[in-house]
Amino acid sequence: MDPAGVFATSFARDQSLIRTRKQLICLILFMVLLAVLPLLVGPRLVAVATSALITVVVTVGLQICTGYGGQINLGQAAFMGSGAYATAVLASKFGFPFWAAIPLGGCAAAAFGFIFGLSAVRIKGFYLVLTTIAAQSLFHFLVLNLPQSWLGGSNGLSLEPAQLFGYVIDTDRSIYYLCLVFAVVMVAGAFGIARSRHGRDFVAVRDDDVASGMMGIDVVRTKAMAFLVGSFYAGIGGGLWAYYVRFVAVDQFTLFHSIWFVAMVIVGGIGSITGALIGVVVILSIRESFISLGPTFVQVVPWLGGDVVFATLNIFLGGVIAAFLIFEPRGLMHRWSIIKRSYRLWPFSY
Amino acid sequence: MEAMAVPHGAAAGARKRPVLAAQDIGLQFGGIKALDGVTIEICSDELVAVIGPNGAGKSSLMNCFSGFYRPQRGEIQFDGTSVIGKSVHQIARAGLARTFQGTHIFSGMTVIENIMIGRHMHMRSSILDAFIHFGRSRNEEFAQREVVEEIIELLEMEAIRHRPVGTLGYGQRKRVDLGRALAQEPKILLMDEPMAGMNTEEKEDLARFILDVREARGIPVVLVEHDMGVVMDLADRVVVLDFGRKIAEGTPAEVQRDPAVLKAYLGEGTR
Repeated sequence: MDPAGVFATSFARDQSLIRTRKQLICLILFMVLLAVLPLLVGPRLVAVATSALITVVVTVGLQICTGYGGQINLGQAAFMGSGAYATAVLASKFGFPFWAAIPLGGCAAAAFGFIFGLSAVRIKGFYLVLTTIAAQSLFHFLVLNLPQSWLGGSNGLSLEPAQLFGYVIDTDRSIYYLCLVFAVVMVAGAFGIARSRHGRDFVAVRDDDVASGMMGIDVVRTKAMAFLVGSFYAGIGGGLWAYYVRFVAVDQFTLFHSIWFVAMVIVGGIGSITGALIGVVVILSIRESFISLGPTFVQVVPWLGGDVVFATLNIFLGGVIAAFLIFEPRGLMHRWSIIKRSYRLWPFSY
Repeated sequence: MEAMAVPHGAAAGARKRPVLAAQDIGLQFGGIKALDGVTIEICSDELVAVIGPNGAGKSSLMNCFSGFYRPQRGEIQFDGTSVIGKSVHQIARAGLARTFQGTHIFSGMTVIENIMIGRHMHMRSSILDAFIHFGRSRNEEFAQREVVEEIIELLEMEAIRHRPVGTLGYGQRKRVDLGRALAQEPKILLMDEPMAGMNTEEKEDLARFILDVREARGIPVVLVEHDMGVVMDLADRVVVLDFGRKIAEGTPAEVQRDPAVLKAYLGEGTR
């Protein structure tokens, strides 16, 4: 909603995302902050920021698939993993450069996701969730049981650092910038998709598939497309992860990770790209504060032991999700729009 | 509502080619015959009302036309080609639009987005165009937005164009439903009980919009309706169904006098 007194005078103005000068300034400041972040903070926080950027790509994909398309997906980590493995194989065995290996990894993940998207055509809700969990097990089964020379089996795969014009991207900072570039492009693309006819089709199929068909929307194709796009994003995230850790193994992409991606979407707000970004930041900040405060806590009360930190972390995050589902099922973005609305109308109630 | 009974029809004399024609269609659910040998033709620029008591097969007929049901017997021709066996979205793309009984609108979206969905089949940008956004996707969006704004003006929805549809009243939702169907630029418009659950004022508004739409766009309309006043005022021709059979057809005045119709509605009299 616009501040009072701001009116659109053209379609371009009415549909733009950045609506006031203040918003533009905020966006520029935020981008500048992201650009100089590695120069301001220590290596630990740069590492956290890098994994946050990778998570953003994956979660935005899940937002398109689940938040917009309404196709509940508990296999996002498997799709991310297939992208990571495809990137690792292409880079280490076939010598592809990173700028080709990562998008191709995305395509491989999209193909894997598309297969499960086809099943979404016939089944809905609960049963679709089970099918996407099957994607997760299938991924593990395939990686561990295919010949070891293909995907490395339980040993995993390692790969050389990315190179651009002879410059080796292997420091914390350079990998951060690599991930930043990909994340910015992917998020901008997600905003584009969300407000295109495709984004509207996804929401239409989510809201009412009977009426969507009557609008000439191919419901089957749209559902499969939601999975395709969502898993492509996961694959790009996986490719970045492969270059970040320079080692991929199955236990980096478990059902547990998939559930966290869903949690980020729920906390941020279903059906909003910005919501996905906020969800990632909130969940990761909680996780990181637990991890960094944990040792101090253990020093204060040593009789509880070190394991308790991770146990509490999971219980707390589980509690956060449950609380959101009960009290704020539409996420922080919904709350934010309510606050904005009441701020605009204040002191009147409507 | 009497004032609206302008003689729109007058098409009765000059029969044009049928846009939608159903030949002897039969539809069965188990042992129940929902439709039994119904033959109906809708010509261009004609407002046909389909009436009948509850369970007469009116909605089943609409669902056969739009591809939700597949009749076991008979043939449906739309714009010269058969629609039997085609999927819902294929029929919609061929130019058949419908509004729904109750509301089947996309409640999470705004009025504009709902009507933009109606423009879906007129948009071509690929998912890659959408990803890039600037260029083809954006230009197409603006071009279609212009068409949508015309519909918003026609249906007098300027004030609510950015409101989420979930927050609108029932009458306004039905208006969005109609706008969305119009955005498809259909060759024929089916309306399944558009007036059900409306108060008199909302009914009058919608009746006015239906007439406006006919005037402005010249689209043939098939109207399934329970409100006799509306039917008699709006329709050029009335088709009466009872227990899946067509029992009468003609101008509103003819149908009103038809003994078979009176029997179906009021039961057999013992005078």
